[in-house]
Amino acid sequence: MALKILTVDDSKTIRMIVKKAFRPYDCEMLEGENGIEGLAISTKEKPDLIVLDITMPVMSGTEMLEKLKSEPSLKDIPVIMLTAESGKDNVMNIVKMGVTDYMVKPFKGEQLIERVEKIVKLEPKKEKEVDEDTSKKYFSLDDGIQFLAFPAKITRPISVEIDGHLKKKIEEMKSSEVKKFILDLRKVSETNVSLIKLVLLIIQKCEKEAISIRLVGSPDVGKELKSFQETSEIPIDFSIDEAKANF
Amino acid sequence: MSGINDLDLKDFVTKTMTDVFDTMLSMKIEQIDGGAEGIDDGSQIVGSVGFAGKVMGNVNILVTSDFARLMTAEMLGMETEEIESEEEVFDVIGELCNMVGGDIKSRLCDSGFTCELSIPSVTRGNDLKIESMGWDRYECFGFKYQENTALVQVYIKTAE
Repeated sequence: MALKILTVDDSKTIRMIVKKAFRPYDCEMLEGENGIEGLAISTKEKPDLIVLDITMPVMSGTEMLEKLKSEPSLKDIPVIMLTAESGKDNVMNIVKMGVTDYMVKPFKGEQLIERVEKIVKLEPKKEKEVDEDTSKKYFSLDDGIQFLAFPAKITRPISVEIDGHLKKKIEEMKSSEVKKFILDLRKVSETNVSLIKLVLLIIQKCEKEAISIRLVGSPDVGKELKSFQETSEIPIDFSIDEAKANF
Repeated sequence: MSGINDLDLKDFVTKTMTDVFDTMLSMKIEQIDGGAEGIDDGSQIVGSVGFAGKVMGNVNILVTSDFARLMTAEMLGMETEEIESEEEVFDVIGELCNMVGGDIKSRLCDSGFTCELSIPSVTRGNDLKIESMGWDRYECFGFKYQENTALVQVYIKTAE
């Protein structure tokens, strides 16, 4: 069963860095922006480890830690405190609070993992589990056609995720002689560089394998794609039925 | 007052900036003389953090908006065009300011000048000119990374 790791920091940047550090491991990441959110999540989820920033608005890490320690069901959860202050007095105060360990910012993800591994046993993530968990979010096969449905917004992590599955899906299409691919952009609400790059990549990969591809999207998305030089010539259908008819 | 004048602020700031940029951004910066001309015009971002106690002061970090975006991309492990919103840039600059301010605060405390740190604030604008009055000491340090410049301003005074 995946370890639950809770990161509590008002900085989205730090939360991203912490989540990224745990990515290779079999962990479920939880996050909170301040001590109040952190306490609520801790109570509900009973994480196996908390990475807790000290200086936060609404409720500080110090206050959150005090409340954790006063709650019988939460007091034994190990806590690694994050601090931007390396001074002797600050470190002494942190240690007195009863934290399991502390990290001074700046830090690299690997340094955090080194500390964590002294507290909990981290298991590497199994690749197959990742594939099974996430490809179905986007890919489906229906009526002899491979569908890929984009979410509302393509971020870099989503782009990496989809690209990670794409090779395998195309191999599966080749082995089962599926020659049609529909890229469904109907849920897309925002076009950005990541989306454009991913669309072009998918088209390239399909063309390389002689797979026919149609794009389906709203008129607004069609207009957005036309405004980018790289995608201005790509035809877009406005419904799945239209795309099927146009193969 | 002679106490804070004995502080080697250049050493404090250089060590902390070098460490923060190297660790979080994998950028090797070097301390330079001047540097204000590198970010004098155009769109700039300034992160500020204050401290108060036996000493009071402010640390401002000024960079161009372009450099801020580059720093954000490096910190988040992405390309600059993949930055989704200004909020991400502000968050990165604020956090870097927090780290630099935190380290400077630690060094002040270790030198006997105990103080507490404020939460950082970030401002963006064009042709920003920052002046702050009534301090016992003001220093400005320039840092360079490739063609980019960062300015660190430190204002400090002893508490009355």
